[in-house]
Amino acid sequence: MLITGIRSKPVYAPLQPDLLGRYHVMVGHGVGATPLSRLLSDMRQAEPKALACTRVWYVAAAAANGATNAFRAAGIAELRTFGEVDALLADLTAAMRAALMGTRLYVAGPESFMGLVMRIAHDFNLNRDEVRAEECGTLARRVHCIHCHSTIENVRTNIVECGCKRWLVVRDHYSRRLAAYMGVMVDAEAPGERPQIKEVFL
Amino acid sequence: MSHSHADTIPVRVVAVEQVTPQIKHFIFAPTGGGELPAFSGGSHIIVVMRGAQRVFRNPYSLMSSPNELDTYQISVLRVDPSRGGSAFMHEQVRVGSELEIAHPVNLFALAKLARKHLLLAGGIGITPFMAQLHDLRLTDVPYEIHYATRSPEHGAYCELIAQAEPQRARLYHDSAAKFIDIEGLLSHQPLGTHVYVCGPAGMITRVLETARALGWPDSHVHYEKFSAPPTGAAFDAYLDKSGIALHVLPDQSLLEAIEAAGVDAPYLCRGGVCGFCRTDVVAVDGELIHNDHYLSDEEKASGKAIMPCVSRARCSKLVLSL
Repeated sequence: MLITGIRSKPVYAPLQPDLLGRYHVMVGHGVGATPLSRLLSDMRQAEPKALACTRVWYVAAAAANGATNAFRAAGIAELRTFGEVDALLADLTAAMRAALMGTRLYVAGPESFMGLVMRIAHDFNLNRDEVRAEECGTLARRVHCIHCHSTIENVRTNIVECGCKRWLVVRDHYSRRLAAYMGVMVDAEAPGERPQIKEVFL
Repeated sequence: MSHSHADTIPVRVVAVEQVTPQIKHFIFAPTGGGELPAFSGGSHIIVVMRGAQRVFRNPYSLMSSPNELDTYQISVLRVDPSRGGSAFMHEQVRVGSELEIAHPVNLFALAKLARKHLLLAGGIGITPFMAQLHDLRLTDVPYEIHYATRSPEHGAYCELIAQAEPQRARLYHDSAAKFIDIEGLLSHQPLGTHVYVCGPAGMITRVLETARALGWPDSHVHYEKFSAPPTGAAFDAYLDKSGIALHVLPDQSLLEAIEAAGVDAPYLCRGGVCGFCRTDVVAVDGELIHNDHYLSDEEKASGKAIMPCVSRARCSKLVLSL
């Protein structure tokens, strides 16, 4: 199969405050609350004043109800919660357009959420020394069908059926531009011959 | 790099103009006709100057349009006191003179993905930007240029810049007590801006320090500094692999002494920034004087490597792995 041995899968590292930054924007989704809370507490230890220049935007998931209270208690300049990832992404784009040099972006959450945020960061030419990201939660993938160019969300299996009725094998080939893994028709050469479907991205 | 240093391009000087009391402008055409190699804005060339006593190889930014390759244009500030290079260009080189140049190298390139470019020039530091402005006019990315000179008569290209960029250029003259407000500029730039500075050492340091204090990440801050290699006491060096002993004069760089001994040592910038000439130190019976901006503090302290283009030694014998 075409799955392994490809090195384009992004590598993320545990979040640390970057005190060289002047403004801090932290975005999280679901279980991303845990690394963000730890990040805020590290920041309070290292440089409490930085909290006054820190905004936290968070897409709440049912499992993380206590998280927003913890953020609020941290003494940050702004806390916003969103019901949907798309709403956060739209507002983040607008905020980046108004933001100044000196801004640092921190991202925590499942890989698919991070990919979408990183794509916005890239559009604003934020480099590796301006963005920090920590992966946590589900490894479910966003998959881009290379045949019909649509995107399938939350894919947990090695093989997935696209809306275009093709069965796709999910490759490790990740596109930062599309914020998705490539899905390639699995039975193009031998129609109907498909490997067993397994849950692999949990 | 596909070209060795022996692979220079012969050029003929087709025009010389004294543009300010201390700056001369030169136009070079390829001796054999045809076109010169393509380059991007911010590139420099090395001009090989065969003086009576010594050979000088000085870097100069290309200031002409990257779209016109019939000729290259450079400007040379006469440094006082000159080690020899700028005096040679000012006194010996005239229309019809033949020189050799090395292929263009760009260590000061525009960031392709920038959302805005902020160009800060001081004095002769305007030259790389003049080529970059040709590139920038072809894009729809916003840019600004701020150009500071001692006075209008020392500002070599004030009028040219003001005419070419009426909306985007601001000129400043020390003589009118007008200075670039570095902090004001750097504190209000939109995300995705890149700042570029070329000028006197003090101006570069101020921009780098201000940018850092305002939270600019290093990847968005670009600078180019052309300074003569620092002088110092004479010392002896020994090239371990080639078995050559040489003497470095007080106003000669280690790299120049190595070249004078007939060894084709690697280099690109000749200004201590690119790292290309990094050389391993086998032994030294004294202390290395590191003048580069390339080696880390730990590497400098270890005494195991040196950048011969700008660094020297206070010793009687330095042994290099060359």
